[in-house]
Amino acid sequence: MFYVPKNAIYKTVSRRKFLELGGGSIASLGVGSLVVGLSTVISRRPVQAASSEDAKWKQYEGSKLVFMSENTPPSFAIREKIEDFYKLTGIEVEVITDGLPAVQQKIGIDFQSGNADFPISYVQDKPIGAPFADYYADLTPMLGDETLPQDPEGYGDGVWFENFLDACGRFYDRDRLIALPYDAAVACTFYRQDIYEANTKDFEAEYGYRMEFNEESTWKNVYEFAEFLKRKRAGGADVPYGYAQHQGSFAWTTQLDVQRMFFAHGRWLDWEIDDKLGTRTPPPSNWGDEQSVLLMQKYKDQADVSHPDNLANGTLELNTVYQSGDIAMQVQYHEFAASIEDETTSKAAGGRTAYAPCPKGEASWIVNGGPAVNGTNCGIGGVGINGNASEDVQRAAYLFCVYATTGNLQYEVLTGLGGTPTRKSVMDMPGVAEARQRPTSMPNALTFDAVYDVGIKDPNFVLGPKVPEANEYHSILAAETQRCLSDQVTPEEACNNIKSQIDSLH
Amino acid sequence: MTVTTSSETHPALSDQDWGFSTIDRPPSAINPPPSRMFYVYLAAPAIALLAVITIYPFLWLIYMSFHKVGFGSSSDIFVGFENFSRLFTDTKYIEGWGLLLKYSAICLSIQVVVGVALAVVLNNSRYEKILVTLFLMPMMVSPIVAGLLFFYLYNGTFGWYHWIFQSLGFLGETSILGSTKTALYGIIIVDVWQWTPLITLITLAGLKRVPQDQLEANMVDGAGSISNFFNVSLPNIYPFLLIAILLRFMDNFRFIDAILALTGGGPANSTRLLPVYLFDVSFQFFKLGRGGAIALTLLIVTIILGLILVRVLEDPTRKKALSGDPDN
Repeated sequence: MFYVPKNAIYKTVSRRKFLELGGGSIASLGVGSLVVGLSTVISRRPVQAASSEDAKWKQYEGSKLVFMSENTPPSFAIREKIEDFYKLTGIEVEVITDGLPAVQQKIGIDFQSGNADFPISYVQDKPIGAPFADYYADLTPMLGDETLPQDPEGYGDGVWFENFLDACGRFYDRDRLIALPYDAAVACTFYRQDIYEANTKDFEAEYGYRMEFNEESTWKNVYEFAEFLKRKRAGGADVPYGYAQHQGSFAWTTQLDVQRMFFAHGRWLDWEIDDKLGTRTPPPSNWGDEQSVLLMQKYKDQADVSHPDNLANGTLELNTVYQSGDIAMQVQYHEFAASIEDETTSKAAGGRTAYAPCPKGEASWIVNGGPAVNGTNCGIGGVGINGNASEDVQRAAYLFCVYATTGNLQYEVLTGLGGTPTRKSVMDMPGVAEARQRPTSMPNALTFDAVYDVGIKDPNFVLGPKVPEANEYHSILAAETQRCLSDQVTPEEACNNIKSQIDSLH
Repeated sequence: MTVTTSSETHPALSDQDWGFSTIDRPPSAINPPPSRMFYVYLAAPAIALLAVITIYPFLWLIYMSFHKVGFGSSSDIFVGFENFSRLFTDTKYIEGWGLLLKYSAICLSIQVVVGVALAVVLNNSRYEKILVTLFLMPMMVSPIVAGLLFFYLYNGTFGWYHWIFQSLGFLGETSILGSTKTALYGIIIVDVWQWTPLITLITLAGLKRVPQDQLEANMVDGAGSISNFFNVSLPNIYPFLLIAILLRFMDNFRFIDAILALTGGGPANSTRLLPVYLFDVSFQFFKLGRGGAIALTLLIVTIILGLILVRVLEDPTRKKALSGDPDN
């Protein structure tokens, strides 16, 4: 029926041997492809300090690395431009992106199992940097290594925006640097100036001042705006709610939301520690003091006049609520301006939204002393290298870190997908200064005045608390705050519960 | 050709040439019975595989629960029962148990009642095949996808289910996941939607095995369809129901996928069931010793409750038979 050659393999090899060979080959191929497909591969060509720049970039040509990152605009942009990096270095980089909680879990498991499946990863300051700082490689020796290509701008504190290097790069030790700033999300106020203008007359008649928001507007003003709009809405007027908070399922967002308001009042901190470096051994916390109880009450009052679905909305969902026109104000991260200004998806686009610094503390709410400031916090994402990786893998990964944090790349992301620069030099690049005013082709630049000129500068900026148990701390804080907002506990009980739980953490 | 054998009686063993080669040794000498080690060698690969995938992790879990687990270069520290004793003062652990039991009881009750009712309706219905196929579709969806699907359906800004609930007057402007009072029911709905079809499927299989003659005899005695169900069908499907309930019960005790997508345990811990808390402790806070202790208690309680369930739901006729009841 079929032609069978005389030397057919099954005639020369016994059936058992044939099956053994086949099975072995398949298994080898499977394991081999897994190893090659998922893991880092490294090949090295030695270079000297005097070698050309091109040779330095290409010293690990033929290698393969994996970059695990959060699904943020710079990560998408770098994935799109990964071919450029390949041309520059000959290194293949697989960019894997996921939600921040998943990134945190995957990186954590990788670190703590002693592996380096993700030789390069995203160092979001508190959720990833604070608990895993010890597992990242110290970049300091590589920053001065003449056999590695370096960014001509350098990496000193002065080339980044204020506090950014501290935020994602330094944890518990000033001499050790674990990441370079790659991505920034800094809080500022987004508000509907069209709605404010339309209602200012009625508001002024009732409260005695205009319904306007600026750098001097306080949390008390925010409360009164929201209270006014909610009452008007209950009376049948076609107005949105005045405000909504960051709650939702990811506890860190709630912690940041609470922290902004608390810090604005006398620069209140959870612990009396170095806010920029953090500590592994925090003293007893300030929770439960008179200031925290008063502010928790104010935070609850604010929630009571906010959007009714307040507890369901995390940062992304809150932005959607604002885009849909259901609230007139949100304190949001400046990377979201691009989505707000997108007329195809946002009712708040087209010049309806104005941007301002975070609300200032209300002087009459400060009982512990200290100034009223525009309490501003952030999520600064760095790019760091797994300390479990071999020296060569770390050096190859360093090439990627340098490339991913260049001013040029940040400029391309800003003009393309809508990124948020971390290098100051980007502000001087063509069109950026003009883009700060409408009409603009870089919507995120509309927030730059509020963020880079006011928010991130001292005394407004708050980074911490950087403590190893940061994630458990966020979880405790979010749960107790939400119990307070749901009337399950009083503000005083909430603060005391937070104190008793976090004091036993360390 | 001659066949020689020790037996003289069997016709096949006569001197007649049967065309087989001569066997000059007794069969036992040709195929000696295998030694015990032969069976051990045969079973060894399966035992080794089982050990790797179940026994080793289980032993490791026990080990971790008695240690403060270090990572990387740091070594584990033996802490005795500290991880366990800490659980008694951990309010989230205790609340997690309460929520898990509440969630499991509500889910199982609804799923059994609705699942059995659906199976009865579907049994021998004209559209049985197509309806069964349709009802099975939720089960084919991965739990995390189901969670994400309902996350969007429940969304207070654009969710269809939110709009329906609101239109029917069940909800105000707060979405089902946005209130500590309703969030648990939000995840129960997802579980019921996804897993009631499993109960239906298993019950339907049971209903197909109900003896027709018993049903007919009962009807001859004047019983209606309701009496037929409770007196004939239900006792016959008991073993099937037991399997279905056990499966769902055990699933509920390790259910986290959809909750992580829907609420992450919030708001205010109102959906932080024990398995969710276990996940947080182990993979958010990376406290593997504490996580091991929680997991071990969860496992032990699951086994105990499973055994109780089996005792309670055991087939009554079999129970009678085992107890030697002469009426049976």
